[in-house]
Amino acid sequence: MSLYEFIREDLIKVNLTVDNQDQLFETLFIEAYQRGYVKKEYLQKLKEREAVFPTGLSMGEYSVAIPHTDPEFIINPFIAVATLEKPVAFHLMEDKSKQTEVNMILMLGLNEPHSQLKMLQEIMTLIQDKSKIEQLLKAQTPIEVQEILKKIEAHN
Amino acid sequence: MKKVLVACGAGIATSTIVCNRVENLLKENGIEAEVIQCKISEVATRQDDADLIVSTTILPTQYKIPAIIATAYITGINMEALDQKIIDHLK
Repeated sequence: MSLYEFIREDLIKVNLTVDNQDQLFETLFIEAYQRGYVKKEYLQKLKEREAVFPTGLSMGEYSVAIPHTDPEFIINPFIAVATLEKPVAFHLMEDKSKQTEVNMILMLGLNEPHSQLKMLQEIMTLIQDKSKIEQLLKAQTPIEVQEILKKIEAHN
Repeated sequence: MKKVLVACGAGIATSTIVCNRVENLLKENGIEAEVIQCKISEVATRQDDADLIVSTTILPTQYKIPAIIATAYITGINMEALDQKIIDHLK
């Protein structure tokens, strides 16, 4: 399955305004939980995991974050996309002592890692593609975000 | 045969990418090794018969075997240097 097939229009938030990471996670969780994508424990588990194993990724000129948690809290697999009005601090995946300001969030709701390889490779292609990230940050509607993501293909 | 543990926090997202990358890397370089995907929390108990840890996430503890941070495969920055580092450890 490709990245696009995991994108749900009702889990795309454009120019979201949040004050911090907790608020971001809570906002995305409520959307996902109300629509039956995740179990109730998901929010707590997501926060715990982010605290121990952070998911901020710095590409040099920009940063993204891919918060996610264990598969048992996912009911229906999804990728939630959020662009932020003002950035939120995330710790770096490889070094918890460092932070990066993130305004592009891909929250991953995965339950079968190997069958989802293609989609994961497309995510990596996407986050390494500066022009695509710029396009996403400029998008004004969930439909625009979907159109951009439709065109992503893994280069691996 | 050598054994490589590929780990990330949840054992589901970034380690899937890195697992695939490492498997291909070893194949291309004619290195026979078993590549196992796991959570970083499982590494401590699985390291005894393994030769190398490749992790996308921070290492919560010290291990008896060498450990390499492989976030480069996710960000795409300095991937070739990381390839070489892994090959050097398994030769």
